[in-house]
Amino acid sequence: MTSPPAGPAGRPGRRLLAAAAGLGLLGMPVLAEPVPSSPTAVPSPVSSTGPTGPAVPASDPGARLYQQSCASCHGMTGEGSQRGPALSGVGPADVDFQLSTGRMPVQQERYSDVHRDAVFSPTEIDALVDYVALFPPGGGPQIPVVTAGDVRSGRELYLTYCSACHSAAGVGATLNNGRFAPSLLRATPTQIGEAIRVGPGLMPQFPANVLGDRDIDAIATYVDVLQDDRGNLDRGGWSLGRLGPFPEGAVAWVIGLAALLLLARRLGSRAR
Amino acid sequence: MITRRLYRALDSRLGTTSVGRTALAKVFPDHWTFMFGELALYCFIALVLTGTYLTLFFEPSTSEKIYDGAYGPLAGSEVSSAYASTVSLSFDVRAGLLIRQAHHWAALLFVGAIVLHLLRVFFTGAFRRPREINWVIGMTMLALALLNGFTGYSMPDDLLSGTGLRIIYSVVLSIPVVGSWIALLAFGGEFPTDATTPRLYISHVFIVPAIFAALISLHLAIIIRQKHSQFPGPGRNERTVVGSRLWPAYTVRSLSLATGVLAVVFALGGLVQINPVWIYGPFNPAQATSPAQPDWYVAWGDGALRLFPRIEFHVFGHLVPAPFLPAVGLGTVTFMLLYAWPWLERWRTPDRAEHQVLERPRERPWRVAIGAWALTFFAVLLVAAADDIIARLTAMPVTGILRTLQILVCTLPFVVAAVAFGVARALKAGTASSLAELTAEDVRAGLSGADGPGPADEAPDQSIQLWRNPDGTWRWRWSGGGEQLTSNEAYLSRDEAVAAARIAFAGVPIDRADPPEGVILPGPRQEPGWGTRLAAGVVWVALAVWGRRRSKTDDRTEV
Amino acid sequence: MSADPGPMGGERGAVRGIRIAFGVSVLGAAGFAVVYSVGGNTQLLGVGLGVAFAGLAVGLWLWGRHLLPSGGYVEERPPLSAPPQQRGLLAAAAAGPQSPVRRRGLVGMFGLAFGAIGVAMLFPLRSLLPLRRPDPVTELRRTAWRAGGVRLVTPEGVPVRADDVNSQTIQIVVPEGHPKDGDAPAFVVRLDPDRLTATPAGGLVAGGLVAYSLLCTHAGCPVALYEQTTGRMLCPCHQSAFDLLAGAKPIAGPAARPLPGLPIEVDADGYLRARGDFTAPPGAGFWSRP
Repeated sequence: MTSPPAGPAGRPGRRLLAAAAGLGLLGMPVLAEPVPSSPTAVPSPVSSTGPTGPAVPASDPGARLYQQSCASCHGMTGEGSQRGPALSGVGPADVDFQLSTGRMPVQQERYSDVHRDAVFSPTEIDALVDYVALFPPGGGPQIPVVTAGDVRSGRELYLTYCSACHSAAGVGATLNNGRFAPSLLRATPTQIGEAIRVGPGLMPQFPANVLGDRDIDAIATYVDVLQDDRGNLDRGGWSLGRLGPFPEGAVAWVIGLAALLLLARRLGSRAR
Repeated sequence: MITRRLYRALDSRLGTTSVGRTALAKVFPDHWTFMFGELALYCFIALVLTGTYLTLFFEPSTSEKIYDGAYGPLAGSEVSSAYASTVSLSFDVRAGLLIRQAHHWAALLFVGAIVLHLLRVFFTGAFRRPREINWVIGMTMLALALLNGFTGYSMPDDLLSGTGLRIIYSVVLSIPVVGSWIALLAFGGEFPTDATTPRLYISHVFIVPAIFAALISLHLAIIIRQKHSQFPGPGRNERTVVGSRLWPAYTVRSLSLATGVLAVVFALGGLVQINPVWIYGPFNPAQATSPAQPDWYVAWGDGALRLFPRIEFHVFGHLVPAPFLPAVGLGTVTFMLLYAWPWLERWRTPDRAEHQVLERPRERPWRVAIGAWALTFFAVLLVAAADDIIARLTAMPVTGILRTLQILVCTLPFVVAAVAFGVARALKAGTASSLAELTAEDVRAGLSGADGPGPADEAPDQSIQLWRNPDGTWRWRWSGGGEQLTSNEAYLSRDEAVAAARIAFAGVPIDRADPPEGVILPGPRQEPGWGTRLAAGVVWVALAVWGRRRSKTDDRTEV
Repeated sequence: MSADPGPMGGERGAVRGIRIAFGVSVLGAAGFAVVYSVGGNTQLLGVGLGVAFAGLAVGLWLWGRHLLPSGGYVEERPPLSAPPQQRGLLAAAAAGPQSPVRRRGLVGMFGLAFGAIGVAMLFPLRSLLPLRRPDPVTELRRTAWRAGGVRLVTPEGVPVRADDVNSQTIQIVVPEGHPKDGDAPAFVVRLDPDRLTATPAGGLVAGGLVAYSLLCTHAGCPVALYEQTTGRMLCPCHQSAFDLLAGAKPIAGPAARPLPGLPIEVDADGYLRARGDFTAPPGAGFWSRP
């Protein structure tokens, strides 16, 4: 358990809500698992920088936050430990994704697919991202700049690449072994871009030759439609969590038929 | 005046008077469970009304076209006409979404009402002689309702329904020997083909509804011919029907039920979203969405597919694929047993007599147990069809949930059946009239196999009186067991009245003395129930508040 | 009258209640019409129509409850079966001396003729499956990959190069020119040859590329949920799981057969091409599946 030093997390607006994006987690349940999202992540050689991490003043907010909240699991120089994977070379996109969706720092013993509000403020996250980026060898996916894209091709790409796990409605779905692909309904465009590039947790990673930057813009724009910001998607009424025919059947029985049975009961007499 | 002349014209051409008199006086039993079939009928009417409107806009074809309507993310996409027109119905046709959703909700309610009707008939023994034909017709209608529900679900050519269609195709493929021929003949080629949607359409909007209309007519004609069955009670025997007359009481009640069905259907259609195909996207054989479930009435089959263990075997070197036993096998066995039930029961019991008076469920503990077993079994399968949603909501591994449900589906039905059997025995042995009144002694008596007093015999103090109305017509009235029952028709002669009373109550003495002339027979009266009082109270309060408000505003305007 | 029945009691009260209910119904219908005219919001339309019908339902219920006699009537139910003499008369009329049923031979021939026509009428049913198509079993066994040398393209139609396929995600592919074939979808993925515990059915090319059918061997749904870290493919329909590292064999759920492999090769330009059809018929099983 790491306790956040900072006050209320809050990049304004959507960022706060961002937690959901869920595309898995920096993957690493606290117990060691293979580290898929950072194939280059070998415990970084503790070189000239010494045991206190990269050469920055200790007063640097990123360094201070890192040592308070991250170093106990990921090591002073991001070399990783029994309790957490190495961070060297994971790239800013991964760090920003994990922190801004509240997946890191872990709040319970086990890393959970349930996402929360970010623990750190946007400034603090930026500082941490910058600090972790200093770990050798550096590199890794950068935070993508996501802009408005073509919603039609976004819909088509979403159905090809995303809907199998995250559901066509964006509400997520069940995977094996108690894991699930999370709902996208709170994800910000940036987080969607990060998840596509990083492939957190069980999620596949999509490099630029599979999904280009324009494709990410388009997908993020379509996810925005799914989030119903324009209020036109659930135009049929109560969406029932967009979970499909199962809740629909429940409503038919519990509301529809129950109402009709009550009426029939009023209209007819009872058994003597 | 005009009505009278019109009627005379009609009567002189068709001779409708005697039929009309009998029809208006037809008696329906009053118990509320007798309305389930009517519920289904009115759902069917709602389906026909809304469905007809939908056919004006839906294009049953998979030929590609560009959607250019108001739904932005689809605008400019090349999709099948079926899908494009369904999205158009939802976004571009004013009130189209209301009607589309109302149609889908009516379908869910329709099958639900049929199932309720089936349960009432099953548990009260209403399928016994002479009603086996109607049982078979009803079963056929249930099967057709499932079929038509599924074809309707599949027609929009969206990703979810395409997946469902693919599963059905695979299930048909799994039939030994002829599976591949049946599947490809029915679908018009290897799935997916352009031939399928038009076939679904003509079956959904014409073939099955036409058969349905014919079967409903037959079902009703038979019930009119045989007259309704009824629960036991004073004056209710094998030669009578006791209740309210078609005109006016039952007509008004039935209209209330019909409008009630339409109210629920349209309220749900407007307020609760169902099958948002624009979100699911057009069908593509290489795409998938999750969670994927069918509508509830076929979900038990999907649940069986999920729960059934991985069993594939070879017969003479030929493959019997995994879906065969849980889907084809279970479905066939279920419907065969349902169809055969009246004869199965006759085979196991010595009872071959005609029955117009129903049994209370408790009188047949074994039947209650078997019904409870089946209900529980299918309920577990229904839940199993949502195992992935349950896994998600509870954050448990889906394999663990599957394993649990596999155990439950093998055990829970027996537990519930045993409990139901015990309760039925206890109710039968004791004097309790409902579950709430059941005592420990009753349960003990039930376990020891004692039989209770059974239905009371006909009251010994029965009598029949004749009445002459001021207009010269005759009626008869039966009294006994503290109740009085009036003949449903007025007769032109005393002999007719006596003959009718003789049929209804053969052994009961008829008061042959000339009845006093000019005594008007008062109709039956009844006290309002608590629901009526409650509703009246609510309206009364509303009126009071409204009146007070009005007087206040009046005051203000005066000031 | 012993007590004042109140404004909603008694017959006058019932009439008032019914009148109010029908009035509400009129308002609902009017509301529906107005909402339709100003744009047709689905929720308001539904409420309008729902209220309109509910008003009718309540009004009619009150009417039946308070103003009409209920119960207390009895109708006689004559026996359905007729007395034996009448049945005898019917039998005499139906099977009299000149009755056609007495000419057994003719009736037999009539039945034969009728049956023959019935059987003949079954033949056109065969047209439901176009005759120019191969028979179902052949059709089910073959896919468009069969031609050999067919390029693997993405669902959008872009040819896939061996270098484009990475180890992080699957690439869904279809045969070039057959994007909508139901039986042809496949996927390519790059696996670490050292982690494989079984040889992929379709072979391993270009240092770890494998291709399999996308269709679940249980009921044919696309097995499109890829768990990158475990190398498993999941089916969204009935939760079957396939282990790509072990030759795509089923490890959970109702699927019983491994995903058929697609033999692939890399052509001179670096594009992936199929060397032939799947190693087994893809999708759900059927009787004549080899």
